Amino acid sequence: MSSNASETTLFWHDGLTLRTISKHHDELLLALIAKSAVALDISDDEPADLSFVQLIESARIFASTSGKKLTLLRPATGNLRDVLERGGFLHNISPEDASFWLHDGVK
Amino acid sequence: MSFPDPIAVFRTEAAELLEQIETGLLDLNHDLANKDQVDAVFRGLHTLKGSGAMFGFEALAAFTHHCESAFDQVRKGVVPATHDLVSAVLNATDHMRALIEVPAGDHDAASEHLLSTLRLAVEQAGNPDAGTPVKPAAEPRMTHYRLHFSLPRNAMANGTNPLPLLDELRELGECTVEVHKSCIPALDDLSAGDLYLSWTVNLKTAQPRSAIDDVFIFVMDEMELSLEIVDARNEQADEASPVAEAAPTEAKSNNASGTPVRAESTAVTKAAPQQQDAKQAKSSENVRVPAERLDELMDRVGELVIAQSRLSQLAGSSGDLQLRAVSEDVERLSGELRDTMMVLRMVPVAQLFGRFRRLVHDLAIETGKAIELITEGETTEVDKSVVERLADPLVHLVRNSCDHGLETPEERRAAGKDPVGRIFLSARQAAGEVIITIKDDGRGINRERVRAKAEASGIIAPNAVLADQELLQLIFQPGFSTAQQVTNLSGRGVGMDVVKRTIDALRGSIDVTSHNGTGSEISLAIPLTLAIIDGLLVRVGAGRYVIPLSAVEECLELSPEEDMRSRGRSFISLRDSLVPFIRLRDLFNTNTTPDPFQKVVVISTGSERVGLVVDQIIGDHQTVIKSMSKLHHDVATFSGATILGDGGVALILDVGHLVAAGQHQEAQLRAAG
Repeated sequence: MSSNASETTLFWHDGLTLRTISKHHDELLLALIAKSAVALDISDDEPADLSFVQLIESARIFASTSGKKLTLLRPATGNLRDVLERGGFLHNISPEDASFWLHDGVK
Repeated sequence: MSFPDPIAVFRTEAAELLEQIETGLLDLNHDLANKDQVDAVFRGLHTLKGSGAMFGFEALAAFTHHCESAFDQVRKGVVPATHDLVSAVLNATDHMRALIEVPAGDHDAASEHLLSTLRLAVEQAGNPDAGTPVKPAAEPRMTHYRLHFSLPRNAMANGTNPLPLLDELRELGECTVEVHKSCIPALDDLSAGDLYLSWTVNLKTAQPRSAIDDVFIFVMDEMELSLEIVDARNEQADEASPVAEAAPTEAKSNNASGTPVRAESTAVTKAAPQQQDAKQAKSSENVRVPAERLDELMDRVGELVIAQSRLSQLAGSSGDLQLRAVSEDVERLSGELRDTMMVLRMVPVAQLFGRFRRLVHDLAIETGKAIELITEGETTEVDKSVVERLADPLVHLVRNSCDHGLETPEERRAAGKDPVGRIFLSARQAAGEVIITIKDDGRGINRERVRAKAEASGIIAPNAVLADQELLQLIFQPGFSTAQQVTNLSGRGVGMDVVKRTIDALRGSIDVTSHNGTGSEISLAIPLTLAIIDGLLVRVGAGRYVIPLSAVEECLELSPEEDMRSRGRSFISLRDSLVPFIRLRDLFNTNTTPDPFQKVVVISTGSERVGLVVDQIIGDHQTVIKSMSKLHHDVATFSGATILGDGGVALILDVGHLVAAGQHQEAQLRAAG
């Protein structure tokens, strides 16, 4: 994790799956409470499953209602992108979601 | 309290699944066009694959996948079911058992061999060279389904990953998947392992509705699924799915295009809870209990019966009326408990007979004979331990009938018989016994050859005088075989010997009849239970003995006059027929003075009767059977022992042996004139 007073970046390299989801949940919640902006650095070869995508969607809701900013450091690729596709997240995707997950329209 | 090992539970369930698959395959083999059986086998394979993967039996899942794929092609009409294909999958089921029992074993070579046979069978089925025109593939009937489904909150925690389900739906046809996220709470309210998502899937497929059901086969009981047909082109009304069979309701629905749809959602939502209720009700009606727990319970009941017997004795010798009343209550309750316990242990012999369909199928292939198995009385119930121990003897007998009994189709034709040989396997209850009969319509037992072989082997003296039954019983002698060639099936002189020993150990008897040219019949008479029986307690000299009550026909007094009259002959006249009797005092060398009024207990097995002369009939006795020690293994007169209320031991008389001895005595006296 790298951070300053108002921003932080979370690096997760122990899998983005159900096995580690509780740990990630706690870390993300703490980060969003403590910081005004949280970025997630996700490697494209990190194993991922639906529980992680659901966690991020939940974190987006929390961030939105509490005036915080949550971003992906890079657009979803690799395993995470695969989960998004297989899980139906990319079908009829809204501009907001496309911006968050795929950085579409992000310059 | 210990919880069942999930792997052990999987193994048990997989064994049941494999039995169902095997039964389905054998039924299909008789009716290759039976689509229900094709579907049933496919579902079984699909379930086995899925649950195997879930419990870490990866090799099983991978192997079963190939069989499932083969049957999927049959199901979809890509290839027809053929006998070769059914046989290939049948052989594969044996291998699946091995993969379940020894998952870490070296199965690669066997797997590859079986799968190459399967591939060949599928290829030949899809490309028949016999000139049978291949039915042109019907134009695919595309149906547009819209499904909405959600899984239970704990689905992921319980090992259900929705992504493979979505992948499977995609494999069915043209598919779009849309996720619904509206139920996801904010991060501070999220239970991270729970599933909050649901999905809408638009699927255009030529597959039947049942293919969609199959995707959700493992989660169907707990999930919510609604399905509507948006557009059905060329859809047939007789679709196999239970939901499709429900009366569809025409309804307007607001879909994206605004076109009216034929919605079946109502029928689905009505049917699904009913199915769930039925499944839940079914599961609550049955409890799976490990067999060893039933055995433990049986032991406890046995000890209770012995303690109750002791209490009865104490109460009987006491003047305390209250104690007697309590003792009678305990006696009644323990009797009821015993009866309930007995029912719990009873299983239908169908469990036993089921496996012979496969055996006969395999034997027909091995011997090149056409064999039909006809079973009867599968609902007859027997104690589970009897069923378990009867399995091997019956395998030997059925093998023997197929190998030695039945002729080849050519021989049968030459003898003016139907080229298809028949094996009849039946079960029925008679008194306290179950009679299991194996009958064939083959050539019958060659008595001359039996005698010659027995004489050559030194089992009987040359030209020994034997009754027909005695001659036929020689086939059960150790080392006896009339087979001129030792085959894989029989002819080693081992099987029939094992049969005899096992039936003896079960306190049963074997009866053989045979007619030249028309076949043989072997009947096994086995006690219904091996645990607790109702007995008649008698005294002979100073010893007490139990006679199984189910064998007792009547009790008579042997007057001194009649006793004197019968000296040397040992027959009593019973309603105009002579019944041989055995003086147990003589048999047991009691060396005590006989009671002045001896009693005769007439016992029978089937139509044969014999009287047992005893000093005193004490009364009925709930008899908990204890095995004899190995030291007494060869004592044929007794089948076991029991503990009496006063702590003493009574031996249980072997009815079959005594009746045979009585009949033998009668035959000798008749022969002596």
